[in-house]
Amino acid sequence: MPEQSEKPVISVRKLRKVYVMGEERVVALRNINLDIARGEVCCIFGTSGSGKSTLLNQLAGLEKPTHGVVRIGGVPISNLDENELAAFRQKHLGFVFQSYNLLQELTAWENVAMPLMFKGIDEPTRMLEAKKMLCRVGLKDRMNHFPSQMSGGQQQRVGIARAFVARPEVVFADEPTGNLDSKTTKEVMHMIRDFAKRFHQTIVLVSHDPEMTEYADRIITLIDGEIVSDIHNEVKPEIDAGIAMD
Amino acid sequence: MRFSDILKMCLDSLRRRKGRTILTVLGVFIGCVSIIIMVSIGAGMRESQDQMIANMGDVTIIEVYANGDSKLNDAAVENFRAIAGVTAVMPKASLGDYSVQLFAGANDRYYAGWGNVTGVDASALEDMGYELLEGQYPQKGEVLVGQYFAYNFYDSIMPEGKNYVDRWVWDEETQSYSEETPDPFFNPLTTTVTMELRSYEDGADTPPACRQELTVSGITKEDYGKGWETSEGVMMDIEDMRELLNTLENTGKTKFDYSEIYVKAENIDAVVDIEQEIKDLGYYTYSMQSVREELAKQTRQIELMLGGLGAISLLVAAIGITNTMTMSVSERTKEIGIMKALGCYVKDIRLLFLMEAGSIGLIGGILGLLFSILVSIGINLYSLGAFGGGITGELLLQAMFGGEGIARISVITPGLMVFALAFSLVVGVLSGYHPANKAVKVSALEAIRNE
Repeated sequence: MPEQSEKPVISVRKLRKVYVMGEERVVALRNINLDIARGEVCCIFGTSGSGKSTLLNQLAGLEKPTHGVVRIGGVPISNLDENELAAFRQKHLGFVFQSYNLLQELTAWENVAMPLMFKGIDEPTRMLEAKKMLCRVGLKDRMNHFPSQMSGGQQQRVGIARAFVARPEVVFADEPTGNLDSKTTKEVMHMIRDFAKRFHQTIVLVSHDPEMTEYADRIITLIDGEIVSDIHNEVKPEIDAGIAMD
Repeated sequence: MRFSDILKMCLDSLRRRKGRTILTVLGVFIGCVSIIIMVSIGAGMRESQDQMIANMGDVTIIEVYANGDSKLNDAAVENFRAIAGVTAVMPKASLGDYSVQLFAGANDRYYAGWGNVTGVDASALEDMGYELLEGQYPQKGEVLVGQYFAYNFYDSIMPEGKNYVDRWVWDEETQSYSEETPDPFFNPLTTTVTMELRSYEDGADTPPACRQELTVSGITKEDYGKGWETSEGVMMDIEDMRELLNTLENTGKTKFDYSEIYVKAENIDAVVDIEQEIKDLGYYTYSMQSVREELAKQTRQIELMLGGLGAISLLVAAIGITNTMTMSVSERTKEIGIMKALGCYVKDIRLLFLMEAGSIGLIGGILGLLFSILVSIGINLYSLGAFGGGITGELLLQAMFGGEGIARISVITPGLMVFALAFSLVVGVLSGYHPANKAVKVSALEAIRNE
């Protein structure tokens, strides 16, 4: 595959994260080395306490590592200051959260348009882009609804539209279906894969749910802050049915 | 983020927490009203003082008197003229030992048993700012008379009670003296005026030491800053007076000291320095400006005290803003985390919260200002007696903008308006400083944290 000759989008070297809680030192990540290629849907799998969420925080630059470096597209994000990080997030990163994290006071389209607003894009353009995204996730009729007027599945679809609206290179998804039933889970995961494949984006998915691994091209299993397995997964054809592959 | 987007978010957020916003704004409103009203009362005091002083005449004139050994002579005049900022110097003299009787009209029909004749420097009258109502400045041998000169005369052929024109006419309707004065018996410019001088040592029945016809060239506008004679007296050139006295005394003495010297400063600001310099030369001085400065100093102190009282309530309001904003930041921790995770700049978050706090301050300030203006107009209307006699448009204008001879109790100057708005905005922003910093420190990790 051509991607493998490309430089990895995400590259992690000697990553170590230690939390100091009073007298106690908790080693959350021991020594992580990892490369993720462009266009990959990668699932970081592990039980609670395995360090998977900590790893996601480091990869997304939400937390500084104790040691080691995380590069995204060659940029060492673990060394950026808050301002540079904000600019970097605007351009290159998207997020899907477990509890959707929509702003309750904003309508669906305003929530989707938020990353564009932070970039300083004018309102008519934002609105157009946001509405396009909402159509893609099947919420054409819910543009002006507030989160409280939508079901969990609909809210998460708004969340997905928001994550992809700025066409980021990498989208992080933290237990994106954790609060959803199995039918909605399928819809949501299908949608995430669809976007990723259509725009050649990289997805880093964090989950403790073995079912999630079905949607990933690659499954990285974490136990006690260490990668114990890193396998390639052939996604079942029916999952990708209807997805246009460039 | 665009500024307009931050502004919209800020207003949205204030609207969403309506109850709390209104209460916090109310605090600023009360603080702002108390400051504005307090300061406006101070400004009102200043206005009535200024008016009082303006009524007293030219504030740029310094009156100089002899003090101990210092002499008021021609050398002194030259010394004063040399001081920087002095535009004119005028010596004044009096007839000293002679009493004056005045006559006017054919056969001395009109008479004044008493007259004030002052020697002035005719060449300096114009520079000193003597204003003429009629006629022109005097040449040699001519004199000026004061605005109400002719009212001093009695008509010798009319019976008691009808032989005098009273220029003070009481108006029952306005309960004050009328602006209109009745015409006097004669116009001094077109009537022959004669002066008789008698030595104080001689009795009133003795023949006068001298009888002289006066040629009146003009009538001055009353100005107490330049002396009583501008109102009711006669102003004669000092050289003419000197010659007259020489003739009377027949002593040949050509030098006499002046009774006082007027020094005119180029503007009000120069008065204090010039006055000090003259004092340093050993003279005693008096000026409206020095009175004014003293009064102004007291007013400033009162103003400061009143403003300080008002400021206390605004301080309480500021604490209210800080409290509201801190609460708001705590409530929105997750929201801030999400915004950060999605790439919102730290400076935008700070600006958002500073703007919210500033808006509370500014809204309170605007409402407070509007209300204060109403209160101020109300107070002034009350003091002008409008609530007894009904509010007319004219009274309303006077209550708002003052006017000639109107002393308002509460004066809100444009400067005070701008200050009040700017101050409430600044207080708001400063109150929001700490909460905004707190918001900035919220970690993007808050977005991930699940309750």
